[in-house]
Amino acid sequence: MIKILLEKELRDIVSSTKFAITFGAAAILVILSFYVGIRNYEESTREFEAARAVNASNVASLTDWRQVQHKVFRKPQPLQVLVSGVTNDIGRTTEVRPHGELTLINSRYNVDPLFAVFRFLDLNFVVIIVFSLFAILFGYDAINGEKESGTLKLILSNSVSRADVVLSKLLGSFLALVVPLLVPILIGCLMLIGFGVPMSGTDWVQLALVIGGGLLCFGVFLMLSIMISASVTRSSASFLFSLVIWIFSVLIIPKGAVLVAAQAVDVPSLDGVEAQKRKFTLGQFDQRFQKMGEFLRADITRDETWSQRFVAFQDSLNKAYEKEREEYYRKLNEDWRNKKDHQEQWAFALSRLSPTAVFQIAAMNLANTDVSLKHRYLEDLNRYQDEYAEFLRKKTGSSGGMQIVMRFSGQQGAQEEERKSLNPTELPEFAERGRTLGETISASFADLGLLALLNILFFVGAFVRFLRFDVR
Amino acid sequence: MKQQPIIEAEGLTKVYEDGHCALDHVSFGVQPGEVFCLLGGNGAGKTTTINIFLGFLPQTEGTAKIHGVDMHADPLEAKKHVAYLSDVVMLYPNFTARQNLDFFARLGGKRNLTKEQYYSVLRQVGLQEMAFEQKLKGFSKGMRQKVGLAIAIIKEAPAIILDEPTSGLDPKAANEFQSMILHLRSQGRAILMSTHDIFRAKEVADTVGIMNDGKMLTIKSRKELEHEDLEKLYLNYIHGKVAA
Ligand SMILES: Nc1ncnc2c1ncn2[C@@H]1O[C@H](COP(=O)(O)OP(=O)(O)O)[C@@H](O)[C@H]1O
Ligand SMILES: [Mg+2]
Repeated sequence: MIKILLEKELRDIVSSTKFAITFGAAAILVILSFYVGIRNYEESTREFEAARAVNASNVASLTDWRQVQHKVFRKPQPLQVLVSGVTNDIGRTTEVRPHGELTLINSRYNVDPLFAVFRFLDLNFVVIIVFSLFAILFGYDAINGEKESGTLKLILSNSVSRADVVLSKLLGSFLALVVPLLVPILIGCLMLIGFGVPMSGTDWVQLALVIGGGLLCFGVFLMLSIMISASVTRSSASFLFSLVIWIFSVLIIPKGAVLVAAQAVDVPSLDGVEAQKRKFTLGQFDQRFQKMGEFLRADITRDETWSQRFVAFQDSLNKAYEKEREEYYRKLNEDWRNKKDHQEQWAFALSRLSPTAVFQIAAMNLANTDVSLKHRYLEDLNRYQDEYAEFLRKKTGSSGGMQIVMRFSGQQGAQEEERKSLNPTELPEFAERGRTLGETISASFADLGLLALLNILFFVGAFVRFLRFDVR
Repeated sequence: MKQQPIIEAEGLTKVYEDGHCALDHVSFGVQPGEVFCLLGGNGAGKTTTINIFLGFLPQTEGTAKIHGVDMHADPLEAKKHVAYLSDVVMLYPNFTARQNLDFFARLGGKRNLTKEQYYSVLRQVGLQEMAFEQKLKGFSKGMRQKVGLAIAIIKEAPAIILDEPTSGLDPKAANEFQSMILHLRSQGRAILMSTHDIFRAKEVADTVGIMNDGKMLTIKSRKELEHEDLEKLYLNYIHGKVAA
């Protein structure tokens, strides 16, 4: 029996004009999202290479490592263009100094206005807006529509159990819609290969999980709207119901969650934190000049080793202040970070009322474009900063930082012959450590699980509602 | 010599959740080869009776049996023996006449019918040949009714239940429909149909059950009606001028 019903369900959906139109639109958007993503990736990579080349040639034009303004760049990642998350909102360039706080400068590589306009059209967006609407359009009248056309009574006048009818409905509509959706997704994946986007094995696994999550998100809306269809007599009413839920899920809950969290948890503004830091640093400056004055007054023998003594004194001073400042900054940052984390936790917990938000959180975690990307990146930078400071120490004999270099005219000639161009390839390579596949999966596991759970919940809900559905 | 009726109601009573008594101890039986008309105005309880016979609605009291099987006790077995034509016959607009017929035939247990067999039934109900492979989208109500009847016929069930089958049909279509009913009767099917149309009831019924306000006021055979004016009888009954 279920085979007959299932077959009818598949045929009924696929042969409808509604399907032809909506599926066509969904397919175009999926393919377009891959295309735009690939183009953005290529563009970003080109800009990335160019910026690195400029940095290298700047370094090569100098003769003293102390003069170098070394910049590092975030490398574009293939998955980040499919699920952009926060990538476009945090800086891409950082000038690395051996000491002090590093900040991300918000310069975009991508200046092609066309693709900037379409940047929102990533796979993530398509799933959230298009898949969920697609599901609702086919779910809202799945049950009460058949009642209105009299076919439900006609089916049930045969020796068919209600369980068979509703199971074939749920499975049939899922299959009839998901299998076709896989086609444009597959085309998108082939495009990734065709355009030569360097996807690693890990990238593929993560992309597969994003797609799986997208289909789960689709399933949630399908099961939910079928459940509503089995709970409300008229299909026009269930359409309205489903649409309202969709609007809440896509628009209201995610925005509302952020607003509520901002109200509930107070986080000081970044400007305020910066001001505090500036004040502290200025205080240090004053102290430092005082100390230096004391040194100059106390150590008055200007022999050959004096300049070395002065450098050593400054180094030790720098070190001490650096340490003090680092501690103070760390405390401030940590404090801010804790409050921010707390606020984010609130926002995410609340937004998880929306299935599309759950998907978005999972997808961003899978593509490593979640809100902690900046945090992770800064950690990578700090690690690199130490490496860079060590490199400079080897090259210049000083740990860098604020230096007043005193030269005596007699030493000039000796230094002259050392003035060779710098070799930029000597610079330590900056590489983001990123997350391992295991870390990525465990970061998204709970949300993927939640989506699966919602599928089951609404599936059972639709099933139970239909057993009690008044077919008259 | 009375046989076991194919469609049998015994003391059927339905009290809706709101306390409204839509059926009040209604009893009747339909023999093979008999057309039984439930005649009554809007709200008389005809659809309620039919819904109970198809298991769409549980009764409050009494039994509804098809082919000797209690619909409430064993609906899946009872439904094997009944074909139904609903008052709304939109069917599947994206399917052709034949695809609609094919789906419901297979649900009704007819698994291996050929295209020719489907065509033959569609021809039998008077659907134009050129419409067989057309989607139902553009069909008129009369054409859809014909496909609906074809669905009821193809199941070859001993009992056929029709709810207001001729309402909304033009006279020609209603007339064609009527001759189909008589054809089915000649095959020995037990047919239960509801109508509020006295003329139609008189034309087609072997037995007429007059219903009003949930009560079966009287059951008259064709023979008994021969000498009476059904319209007058009906009005007298529902106005309580004749003791039931
Ligand atoms: N679900 C329901 N709840 C309460 N009353 C109902 C319900 N369905 C029908 N009725 C009432 O039961 C009576 C019989 O209805 P119905 O069987 O549809 O009549 P008919 O088909 O003869 O026009 C009517 O008075 C109607 O208002
Ligand atoms: Mg009725």
